[in-house]
Amino acid sequence: MSESLLYFVQQLLNGLTMGSAYALIAIGYTMVYGIIGMINFAHGEIYMISTYISFIAIAGLMMLGITWLPLLLILALIVAIAVASTFGWAVERVAYRPLRGGNRLIPLISAIGMSIVLQNYVALGQNNRDVAMPQLVKGGWLFGAEQGFEVSLSYMQLMIFVVTLIAMAILTLFISKSRTGRACRAVAQDMKMANLLGIDTNRVISMTFVIGAALAAVAGLLLGLYYGVANPFIGFIAGLKAFTAAVLGGIGSIPGAMLGGLILGTSESMTAAYLSTEYKDVVSFGLLVVILLFRPTGLLGKPEVEKI
Amino acid sequence: MKKLNKALLGLGVSAAMFGSLAANADTLKIALAGPVTGDVAQYGDMQNIGALMAIEQINKAGGVKGMKLEGVVYDDSCDPKQAVQVANKVVNDGIKFVVGHLCSSSTQPASDIYEDEGVLMITAASTSPDITARGHKMIFRTIGLDSHQGPTAGNYIADTLKPKRMAVIHDKQQYGEGIATAVKDTVTKKGVNVVLFEGINKGDKDFSALIAKLQKENIDFVYYGGYHPELGLILRQAAEKGFNVKFMGPEGVGNSDLSSIAGAAAENLLVTLPPSFDTRAENKALVDAFKAKGQDPSGAFVLTAYSAVQVMADAIKASGTTDTQKLQHTLREMTFNTPTGNIAFDAKGDLKTFDFVIYQWHQDGSKTLLK
Repeated sequence: MSESLLYFVQQLLNGLTMGSAYALIAIGYTMVYGIIGMINFAHGEIYMISTYISFIAIAGLMMLGITWLPLLLILALIVAIAVASTFGWAVERVAYRPLRGGNRLIPLISAIGMSIVLQNYVALGQNNRDVAMPQLVKGGWLFGAEQGFEVSLSYMQLMIFVVTLIAMAILTLFISKSRTGRACRAVAQDMKMANLLGIDTNRVISMTFVIGAALAAVAGLLLGLYYGVANPFIGFIAGLKAFTAAVLGGIGSIPGAMLGGLILGTSESMTAAYLSTEYKDVVSFGLLVVILLFRPTGLLGKPEVEKI
Repeated sequence: MKKLNKALLGLGVSAAMFGSLAANADTLKIALAGPVTGDVAQYGDMQNIGALMAIEQINKAGGVKGMKLEGVVYDDSCDPKQAVQVANKVVNDGIKFVVGHLCSSSTQPASDIYEDEGVLMITAASTSPDITARGHKMIFRTIGLDSHQGPTAGNYIADTLKPKRMAVIHDKQQYGEGIATAVKDTVTKKGVNVVLFEGINKGDKDFSALIAKLQKENIDFVYYGGYHPELGLILRQAAEKGFNVKFMGPEGVGNSDLSSIAGAAAENLLVTLPPSFDTRAENKALVDAFKAKGQDPSGAFVLTAYSAVQVMADAIKASGTTDTQKLQHTLREMTFNTPTGNIAFDAKGDLKTFDFVIYQWHQDGSKTLLK
């Protein structure tokens, strides 16, 4: 491989890692939108809280003497998922359910409020400085040094990519095969009808928030380990990017969120690679505008049919 | 109805006058404006512990003209919009003296308001040259300028480090880009090859694409203009990718949080900082007073903030007035003996002399003097 090709490969790997993380968070937006047609702006904060919880869990577990890395990470993941799911469930219960059935804009405002509340809650409880975590997953593969440019794929990057794929596969199976998944799809298609047919729609909606939060917790742990830093404000930018990814792929569509995340991540790293880091956001959001111009429902979104 | 309105207005005015008289009689309020929250709040802490210590010690020594000083903390979060709100609030609260703001991008809009309202402002931390370059009369600073700091860094890079292919990265903010440009201009004049001059987004977490680019361009030295949260991550991710060149940054990156983010990679960093005033022999008693309260006097802005308060108090003592229009002349005429040395202001409100020095940063948050 030539030097410039190796450089391209490196940037592609960087972009795919970033993209899969966006995708994990984007799922939460897309699922909630698919089912109740609202954008849960507090979702980015759930991701932020998960990062904190995983840091706290890892520190706690290490104090208990658990230092074997796989066990440590799995236990931290379980704790993070449990706490984040509780938050996801509670947010829906407190801020959205009482407003359901009214104007669509009302829960949207409530979501923004919830996001501010959670951000400040963490800022007050944990103070608003960066908390840092030492690097736990070290090392990686290096290749191409003799051809002029050394490509590195760290185990952490690989882990982000693989875990995302596994999580997506499990989610897709769950939605398409399981009973609850079928109920989710039914509610997404027609909530009133599903209700009439005996599906507990409130339970399904709670479930959606819990699943979204659980995936955000996976992202929180992985990105927390990768970047090693958290502060109460990371949820905002991460949420914005993930939301963009969800819209790009077609909001409401789960494979769309994955695709949107990967496209967004790759376009960001390619812009940084061949143009300038300064134009990263210009290009990725410009791309969003262009795609929405030609496909208003996103890449994999279904065209909205007015129900009569 | 009209009469009643007038009566009410009169009552209000007299109450306001009475109120301000009562306040003036025994306390002189000084607003301490800077980030108390947000991701650079530690710098706000530095400023506030320094200023509050000065206020405490001046009060202990009998105050100023029989008045006690009182510090009132305002939070601008290092956000220009909030800084304007803070400035308006300070004016509304009738406070005539401000120590702050901290981030140059906040100080600049706030200083316009102070200038118009006759509020005397001394910043202990903002280093952007623009702040004092607009002919304002009320705006001073007890710290050097980027236009000094940039050349200090640039000369050291060109004369001592002599990189072959250098990159200059900044965060596109007034402070970061300003100082990055100053460094770039200095080194280019001295013949250093600046291959890359690029901005990043404040708040970004993933710099892998940037680092791959630096590796591809065979960069052997990086200057970063901005604050520590981003640089900490850049250093950390660079080390993970095996990109171990020297980095250098301005005083905005030099604090212990950088070390906790970057870990061992912090050893790759050089920082230009105001000299460690806390190690001067004259300041031993003061440093002990900070330590007795469990505060850290080594922060870059602690003693510059102390000096800012002291300068205000000394000027009031010398001129015998709290009229800020007169005080601004006094400030420009006097030389003040402060913990940061003998300082005097020039016509623009900048210090006549202020030297930055270069430190090697360490992973435990400590630093050693290089030059």
